[in-house]
Amino acid sequence: MKRRIAAAGGLLTAAVLCALSLGTPYVPLLDLPAALGGDGLAGLVVTELRVPRLVLALVAGACLGAAGLVLQEALRNPLAVPEMLGVSSGAALGVAAPLVLAVSVPAAVQPLLAIGGAALGGVLTLLAAGFGRSPSAVLLTGAAVAAALQAALLVLMVLADQLDLQLIYRYLLGSLSARTWQDVTGLWPWLAAAVPALVLCAPVLSVLRLGDDDAQALGVRVRRARFAALAIAVLLIAPVVAVCGPVAWVGFLAPHMARRLDPGGDAVRWLPWSAVCGALVVACADLPARLALAPVETPVGAWTALLGVPAGVALMKRRAAMA
Amino acid sequence: MSALVPLTARRWPLLLAGLLVLAVGCADLVAGRSLDVRDVWQVFGGGGDPAARHIVLRLRLPRALVALAAGASLGLAGMILQSALRNPLAGPEVTGVTPGAVLGAVTATGLGLAGWRSPAAVVIAACIGGFAGAGLLWLLTGREKSDPARTAVHGVLVSAVLTGLTAMVLLVAPGELGSVVQWLVGSTEGRVWEHWVLLWPWASVWAIAAWIMAGPLTLLRCGDEQAAAAGLATGRARAAALGCAVALTAGAVSAVGALGFVGLLVPHLAFAVFGADLRRALPGAALLGAAVVTGADAGAQWLSRALAGALDMDRLSVPTGALTTCVGAALLLAVARRGTGPE
Repeated sequence: MKRRIAAAGGLLTAAVLCALSLGTPYVPLLDLPAALGGDGLAGLVVTELRVPRLVLALVAGACLGAAGLVLQEALRNPLAVPEMLGVSSGAALGVAAPLVLAVSVPAAVQPLLAIGGAALGGVLTLLAAGFGRSPSAVLLTGAAVAAALQAALLVLMVLADQLDLQLIYRYLLGSLSARTWQDVTGLWPWLAAAVPALVLCAPVLSVLRLGDDDAQALGVRVRRARFAALAIAVLLIAPVVAVCGPVAWVGFLAPHMARRLDPGGDAVRWLPWSAVCGALVVACADLPARLALAPVETPVGAWTALLGVPAGVALMKRRAAMA
Repeated sequence: MSALVPLTARRWPLLLAGLLVLAVGCADLVAGRSLDVRDVWQVFGGGGDPAARHIVLRLRLPRALVALAAGASLGLAGMILQSALRNPLAGPEVTGVTPGAVLGAVTATGLGLAGWRSPAAVVIAACIGGFAGAGLLWLLTGREKSDPARTAVHGVLVSAVLTGLTAMVLLVAPGELGSVVQWLVGSTEGRVWEHWVLLWPWASVWAIAAWIMAGPLTLLRCGDEQAAAAGLATGRARAAALGCAVALTAGAVSAVGALGFVGLLVPHLAFAVFGADLRRALPGAALLGAAVVTGADAGAQWLSRALAGALDMDRLSVPTGALTTCVGAALLLAVARRGTGPE
């Protein structure tokens, strides 16, 4: 256990230092303390651009990782992730629609729109799949719902101006470019609501794993519990999506990494690990997003999709082979 | 069984489907803006003013024909995939073929290897991409090929990876984004005779190939043991069928883009109408696919007109693919519920 914490801490530290020092201008590690104090150009770049971006990456990753674990445990399916259930697409639709239709929305309302969209997608899937009694039916239904929402998004893209199009496309893939302290501070109230709920619902998740009948015998109202889990996941995902777009497949990879780290654990023990892994994944993926094709920035979501899906599938398969 | 059914009873569904295709094609011709039915009729009668003639003969006719050919290709490809893989949820969209083909086409365009000047290169690139996508899924499913739902879910994962790659390519070559978005959702906007000239020979060749394979495919649907017992080399037959399906999909994608759910759902409809004998169901699927895509095109144009009038936005045009995806998703819910059943 100590070794794992040390390894995770080391990796996180390395990712943080890379995120703060690499790029243009390059800030050597020795100059970082001075730069964090905020003197000169380097100081300005680090404190006003790189630190908020890094904080956002960590917070977004942690939220997505935790939400992914909640959904996977509640629906008893290793593939039940926000992307597969229409939650991510729904949230993105809620944010992108006013953008394209040129309706001006105050910044405070954006998370609300995202939550509305995410809830729409998730609830639609749950209802159509009969509250997830059969794990595989949920995914198929979710895939269909997600596809329909994606189509709506593409229609919006077709309507958009050429200039907006770049921006929207980048957003839809999930991108942390040009995010500032303002975006980060908008997240805290939502997190303050979601985190306690998350802690409260974690024990119920372990019970849901036993299967519907056993959980009911233990006094858990299965449908309500699933609904609550979905609500918490939506609360975690939507604000993140509102700020930096649906960073793809983090909610798939992070929980599987957590399970790999702690094979004998249960939902309660995996939850913090899942959040840490998610933060690590997004922080690491943001490095190639910023640097790989400089000066062009690539969206971080493209990297998480490219690397996350194969890695997650590999982890899942190994786990299945061990079981 | 089929020998006991009188000949006329076997023919009429196909005839009806043919008539439906004709009707939908005509509807597509008169669905656009700026001309009404009478003008179109005059043009085909040899009259009409030059502008109307140009619109009908140079714009609408090729558009309708491309929609017909692409729809037929997608319907056939879906039918072949579902039969060869014995999976009612297989379709070009969920087996990685369509996203792969889009990736191939986008990459070729982005690298400057292909463009509007050389549409043939786009088809080739889409083909390579389609095979790559299908191959990726093949590797991913491993030993679990028998479970339809799992394969479909893995297909979604493969699509996610390919979509990420496509995004990368698009952001490296941002100039292409506007023209490619139409492709990502599937659209028949601005299709002209050049597209048709390229599409119909390709589609015809592979459609004939599919027709030749109707017998082996029917055997494959019965299961590998039975097919092998009947003297069919199952592996080779399946590989040939998959190749044919990928080629058909690639042709359709390079012409109209990634139309969602046509290849997945048209076969279900065709099996319901024409029965399980592929010698009738295959042409049936082609006809139904053509009718569905052309109908969606007509519907999308009509919807665009209605919406543009209501919202006062001149540039609004609903892409055909958006319509097929939305309707298809609803139908897929029904198919998934019926297919998996209550457990």
